Amino acid sequence: MTVDTLLTSGFLMLDGGMGTMLQANGLEMGGIPELLNFTHPQQITDIHRAYIAAGSDVVYTNTFGANRLKMAKTGRSVQEIISAAIRNARAAADGRALVALDIGPIGQLLEPTGTLKFEEAYDIFREQIEAGKDADLYVFETMTDLLEVRAGVLAAKEYGDGKPIFVTMSFEENGRTFTGCEISAMALTLEGLGVSAIGVNCSLGPVELVPIVQELCRWTSLPVIVKPNAGLPDPVTGQHSFAPKNFGECMKPYVEMGVQIFGGCCGTTPDHIREAAQTIRSMTPVQREISIPAAVCSANRTVIIDMPRIIGERINPTGKKRFKQALLEHDTDYILGQAIAQVQAGADILDVNVGMPDIDEAEMMRTCVKAIQGITATPLQLDTTKPDALEAGLRVYNGKPIVNSVNGEEESLNTVLPLVKKYGAAVVGLTLDKDGIPKTAEGRFAIAKKILDRALALGIRREDVYIDCLTLTASAEQAGVMETLKALTRVKQELGLRTVLGVSNISFGLPSRELVNKTFLTMALHAGLDLPIINPNTESMTAAVRTYRLLANHDRNAVEYIAHYGGETPAAPVAAAQNMTLPEAIAAGLGHEAGELTAALLKDASPMDVVNTHLIPALDRAGAEFESGKIFLPQLISSASAAQKAFEVIKTAIAESGTETVSRGTVVIATVKGDIHDIGKNIVKVLLENYGYTVIDLGKDVPCEAVVQAAAAHHAPLVGLSALMTTTLPSMEETIRLLRAQCPEVKIMVGGAVLTADYAAKIGADHYAKDAKEAVDIAKTVFGA
Amino acid sequence: MISLTAVDRVQALRYAGMHGAPDAHLSALTDICEKRLLSAVSPRSCERVYALARSPKGILCKGSRLLLTGRDIEAHLEGCSHALLLCVTLGEGADRAIRAAQAEDVTAGLLMDAMASAAVEQVCDLAEAAMLAKLPEFHAAWRFSPGYGDLPLDIQGDFLAAVDAPRRVGVCVSDSGLLLPRKSVTAIIGLSDKPLERHRMGCSACNLANTCPYRAKGAHCK
Repeated sequence: MTVDTLLTSGFLMLDGGMGTMLQANGLEMGGIPELLNFTHPQQITDIHRAYIAAGSDVVYTNTFGANRLKMAKTGRSVQEIISAAIRNARAAADGRALVALDIGPIGQLLEPTGTLKFEEAYDIFREQIEAGKDADLYVFETMTDLLEVRAGVLAAKEYGDGKPIFVTMSFEENGRTFTGCEISAMALTLEGLGVSAIGVNCSLGPVELVPIVQELCRWTSLPVIVKPNAGLPDPVTGQHSFAPKNFGECMKPYVEMGVQIFGGCCGTTPDHIREAAQTIRSMTPVQREISIPAAVCSANRTVIIDMPRIIGERINPTGKKRFKQALLEHDTDYILGQAIAQVQAGADILDVNVGMPDIDEAEMMRTCVKAIQGITATPLQLDTTKPDALEAGLRVYNGKPIVNSVNGEEESLNTVLPLVKKYGAAVVGLTLDKDGIPKTAEGRFAIAKKILDRALALGIRREDVYIDCLTLTASAEQAGVMETLKALTRVKQELGLRTVLGVSNISFGLPSRELVNKTFLTMALHAGLDLPIINPNTESMTAAVRTYRLLANHDRNAVEYIAHYGGETPAAPVAAAQNMTLPEAIAAGLGHEAGELTAALLKDASPMDVVNTHLIPALDRAGAEFESGKIFLPQLISSASAAQKAFEVIKTAIAESGTETVSRGTVVIATVKGDIHDIGKNIVKVLLENYGYTVIDLGKDVPCEAVVQAAAAHHAPLVGLSALMTTTLPSMEETIRLLRAQCPEVKIMVGGAVLTADYAAKIGADHYAKDAKEAVDIAKTVFGA
Repeated sequence: MISLTAVDRVQALRYAGMHGAPDAHLSALTDICEKRLLSAVSPRSCERVYALARSPKGILCKGSRLLLTGRDIEAHLEGCSHALLLCVTLGEGADRAIRAAQAEDVTAGLLMDAMASAAVEQVCDLAEAAMLAKLPEFHAAWRFSPGYGDLPLDIQGDFLAAVDAPRRVGVCVSDSGLLLPRKSVTAIIGLSDKPLERHRMGCSACNLANTCPYRAKGAHCK
């Protein structure tokens, strides 16, 4: 008996609630059910037996929380607990039922909201998978974080010996999980990773889950699982009250929509399972009509490629000195700023390219993917030529991304396509090979076909192969422009594939580049372009796409078009900027104006002159007014962020001119281990940078050793530590102790709401900063103004 | 799910360190932050009523592992036969909105964080009121949270387990005692069949009494 044979014959019956059965027998709320595998093995086996007698084909082991974090205080190892649980289940199953290793959520939130790293989550799951190798299949249930699920599924794929993997997530009535994961995103991502069946368990009762499971059935070709609660728990008593007979009746709509795998969760008993089994076995399985569209997703947003979608190209160091500088300085904030600006300008997908010599591209890709997906739900396109960087990004990307790119060369096909298949991504194929870019449309079409055939042979869906017929420059290859478009149309129509094109290349070397780009873009859209790669900040380009969507009848009733262009054209930001001085813009917190005024000043003055004559005095004034209580924190910050915008303009100017930046000194800052509050630290960073200090921001939850390493590596004379919780003050103390031991010359300043001057002295800090402004004053004394 | 239609901006600005009326620029930024925050959050609550069992070790919520210790909670629960345990959260969307605001502009980050802090208190008020309406047979004390007075923070794990918070609202606790998602609150509301005198706890019982910026200016946080 295997999962596959059971599924081919029709339905698969899972079991019902274990935790609630144990609670009904006296287990207290917050008690550890997994320990009962040792203290009351017979009770556990009896529960399994009761479910099998009621009709379960599969029993879930009593191991929902059996991971190293939750079991840490029990004195039992994960291996011991899981082995005992499987033994108890086998004793009941006796060859008549399958035993599934039940894996629930780890119990900690993953980064960036929480402190659990993706890699650590993977390791925790791996331990469970290896301990459970005697099970028949692996089940991840009650999951709410797609990133956590991915860590588990990858561990099961890589250590699970090829055994079937089931995944069920818990959804709220709005069709999303607690972390905002969409049903479509779950389906696209998990089917891409190659699990055996997916579905929904817990959180809602059998009636409430109908629309949710219906939606799921539309988005996956895998067998679907439904495992509802016996209704909602009574808030006073905690009891579930949905009767077994009703529960059984409620299974009918699920059979009709094509669900094959059934069970019960919290509050269900063998009686509920008996009723459900009787209902489903009286019906015939229904074949689902499945038609999953071409789509990519993040956990929280699915983008269907059913009309032109904009891919933002700005996260790419090519030809951008400021960007290269940011990569060398590991300045993820700069990259995040680029991401946000493009999303606000209308990008549907973001291309992420962080490749350049002298940096660890794989590490940078991993860091950037994690950071970008932490602030925007816009799906990403991973753009790299290095397989290790590609895999690094694919591993941590939370959703189904696009891989940019594969081409017709054997080496590329052999290294990139397997990664695309393993991680369930979509892929852009470039119509070039070792002989270069074919001159004719026929030549490019042939390469496209080759890439498609190789992808299909690996099991990658046609809907997930996008083709880029490559844009050359019109000035160098004028006749080639129409060949690109001809190839694009043929690929779209004859191969049925989505098409991609980076358009900016077309105008290289010509005057009025924007005009050429916009016209070519429009031509390409009409020729069948689905995914233009453009700079969405260039309004005319984004406008061309929006207008096309309207004219091609995608934007029904011009809703989007009117939303963007229908309002009153705002009066051009007028004399406000002309009559205002830079210090005034900063005092008023007007960042945009500050940026423009700085650009104007830079025409006649050097960057450092502007900083010393205008920026610093304005900041000093704001600081003094804050101290005297004339203005308050939000206004100080507002001025600081306006100064930051001005400073950004200056930084770009310095990068372009290639001159060395003159820094007043280097400061390392961090929020200590265990603490994730960083707003105050970030305000300090902005102020220090505005005053011309180089700030190495290590982020939050930073291990003590990392602070020491950074201080040593950057030869920083000053280190700033922040903590906002009494429970993390020991981390601060430990960090200081290590710094004193290994970097005795370093001066240490500390800050945070729970600190006082006395406590700061007690733990050995040199300075206590009661607010961000004081941090700057301290830096001035340390570095000598 | 709880519906939140507006954020208490006065409270939010106070959390942000603002006194007096904000200027036009800050006001406009606050408008934008409020709109974004309201569309990003999914306010949720879960609760459970427990009978209380008193012993020399402390007050146990019967049927759970939650043991409440210290003089302050004892005083707070005096005369109470039961306690309503409440866990409320704005969800991960609030953390995400704060991170996104920070990446864009440091002022926006500050305001978004302050607004979220105000919002979670509002959600707590709503959840408490809704729950107490279902318990007309009881008189209720005010909200008391782990970390107040001498009620230790390290009971958060047992508290969350007692209301099944991880499963029902997606809230868990980190190794350092931080509730996650960050804009989450746990609270104990004493329940009695007799009217209770609602003592207001003063600044002396607060952990931040020495560093409080409100006290420095002779004011209060609430």
